[in-house]
Amino acid sequence: MIDKIFRLAHNIKGSAQAVGFSEIGEFSHKLESLLLKIKKGDIKLSTPTVTLLLECNDYLRSSVESLKRGETLAVDEKLAARVLNATGGQAHTEGSINQISDDLDLDAQLDQIMSNSPELVEGLASPLPTDQLLADAAAFASTIISELTQENLAPISPTPPPNTSKEHAPKARTTDTPDESIRVSLSRVEKLVDNIGELVILQTVLTENRHQLPTQFLQKTITQLAKISKEIQDIAMGLRLVPLKQTFQKMQRIVRDTAQSLNKDVLLEISGEDSELDKTVVDRLGDPLVHLVRNAVDHGLESTEARLAAGKSSQGTIKLRAYHRSGRIAIEVRDDGHGLNPDLLRKKGIEKGLISANQNYSDQELFALIFHPGFSTKSAVTDISGRGVGLDVVKTNIEKLLQGEVQLETVRGEGTCFRITLPLTMAIIDGMVVRAGRERYIVPLTHVHESVRPRQNDISSHTGLGLVLNLRGEAMPMHRLARLLGDNSPPQAENREETAIVVRSGTHPYAIIVDEIVGRQQVVIKKLGDELANVKGMSGGAILGDGCAAVILDLNELMHQGTAKSKPVVASIRGAA
Amino acid sequence: MMESASTKPTTTAGSQRFLAFSLGVEDFAVPLLSVREVVALPEMTRVPNTSGYFSGIMNLRGQIISVFDLRLRFGMKAEHGSETAVIIHNFSQLCFGVVVSSVNNVLSLKDTDISEKPDFQDMQANAYITGVSRYNDKLVLLLDVVKALRLEDIAALKQSAKNKSAA
Repeated sequence: MIDKIFRLAHNIKGSAQAVGFSEIGEFSHKLESLLLKIKKGDIKLSTPTVTLLLECNDYLRSSVESLKRGETLAVDEKLAARVLNATGGQAHTEGSINQISDDLDLDAQLDQIMSNSPELVEGLASPLPTDQLLADAAAFASTIISELTQENLAPISPTPPPNTSKEHAPKARTTDTPDESIRVSLSRVEKLVDNIGELVILQTVLTENRHQLPTQFLQKTITQLAKISKEIQDIAMGLRLVPLKQTFQKMQRIVRDTAQSLNKDVLLEISGEDSELDKTVVDRLGDPLVHLVRNAVDHGLESTEARLAAGKSSQGTIKLRAYHRSGRIAIEVRDDGHGLNPDLLRKKGIEKGLISANQNYSDQELFALIFHPGFSTKSAVTDISGRGVGLDVVKTNIEKLLQGEVQLETVRGEGTCFRITLPLTMAIIDGMVVRAGRERYIVPLTHVHESVRPRQNDISSHTGLGLVLNLRGEAMPMHRLARLLGDNSPPQAENREETAIVVRSGTHPYAIIVDEIVGRQQVVIKKLGDELANVKGMSGGAILGDGCAAVILDLNELMHQGTAKSKPVVASIRGAA
Repeated sequence: MMESASTKPTTTAGSQRFLAFSLGVEDFAVPLLSVREVVALPEMTRVPNTSGYFSGIMNLRGQIISVFDLRLRFGMKAEHGSETAVIIHNFSQLCFGVVVSSVNNVLSLKDTDISEKPDFQDMQANAYITGVSRYNDKLVLLLDVVKALRLEDIAALKQSAKNKSAA
């Protein structure tokens, strides 16, 4: 591992000097010296050393960023001096490097570089923009450094328990052979997916009409073509998926920094980082995850003294886990801290005027308070978390932007677990195709709790309330979809296909009557034009199986708008529930 | 304002090309550079809660595109015939379709062929007519589609977003 970092530092130095970024060159020379000492075993890896290395990584990274923006470099003399200091006051000379290189089998070394950083080597071979090259190297180096931190986390914890022997030392890694990859812009992938969608539609037309063809040979060919098209579609959909690894690895650093500043001893366990998610989902997941992880270190875990007093090991554990669950992906941030205290939450909630003092609340209701805007149980505001903004933002972001859910599990004295459940991809949803009036619409299947065909005496009409559906004894407001969409023509008399969709994902359950449920279909979500941005109740568009465009409805928004406009009374009776 | 929407884009020869089309019996033209393609009237899906001249959304090879009907916008009858077509416009990031009665031809007009628009009483209508030309003894109104469809706010937003990302 150290070898790898050393080589990369050397690479950065070489590239930087070759293109005339002497500041970076000089700095990486010093860094190289430090790494050399570590490599030789002159300097033991310790917490301060790793911190220093991480800071060097940050510095190199920001330098490359500012070079990209065309700014002049601010040389961090202090950091450089510290690096020099750690090295023992003397930078190495080129001679010693050569000696090192001689020690290694050059061919093997080259091979390894080739296999480990194909992009780098490619970059060296072709006249890539130099800053891009540097950025690549820096990114690669940082990945390795974070891997290093991960492997060394046990030994470098601030106060290692005395009985921990060196058995925790990193085991030798087998040389990994990563998939070779190329960079493709997302818009090109999207275009490909669009066109393949069209291909599949045309294919369906062919398949449906193949019996009109005279020869069996042609019919067979079409069947085969259908299979291949399906496969191409699957592959194209997979192009947007990226592993969670990078996002998870960033958390190592977050945990490390947060734990150090709070003087806690925290171990982060990561699993399932190879799970793949849509690129957009992974990008948007970063911030909420950082917040949850920080929150776990800051609020979830007790101080070392409190842990020891509670009879736990002094080292707190945070488990970051990703796994598949019924077609969705779940990401857990679990700590083994003190858990949530419902009594404390109640007190705080009353104090902040969020709940009333003389009413009984279930523990679940009290736990839900932590997602309330402006709620924080930590009395002191720290610079890590505790400003009372955050968890509510996390929740809204995950629900709104990622169509996911946040669940909370907590056991007093044993820990808290935040579970984020996300769709595998933002690009495709399971949709229910429904008809209202003449047009068909798509309702995301996640919104549909159940669909029932109500009998005549289950529906009653009340003045001021409109229609009310009696669903196995539970009364809920009911609306006609066509009416909500602004179609005021009277409903067809005696429509046998009329079905009520029960939605429970909003604040209150309600039922929507559609003229017909046409079917269920996986659809690729497409953006509607900006000229439709102001029209409420639509979350996007999609192409149906027959090639027609259809609108994906956001029933909650539609309901909200519909009731706010015409039926304010409903809100008040529901408010009492 | 956007350059492509104006009728005076850059052409070195002093002449520019326009796509001429009819709405009912009247002739109009738009700068050819803003036209992406012309398609036959597709199947359209109506969208609830939209303005009266919004025809619906269509599927253009996997892309969903909003379609407006200029005839309804100008208070004409919207009859669909065999020549009815949709002109797909592309103004930088803004892409939409416009239903017209028929697409006629491409006009190559010199600057001298284009006269200033007459003084209309109605300043509203004035805004989206950018000039008048004479072709085969018929008047052709040069149209700013973005303004005619009241999309200029959206277009401006798009443009500024684009400028920002370019900067």
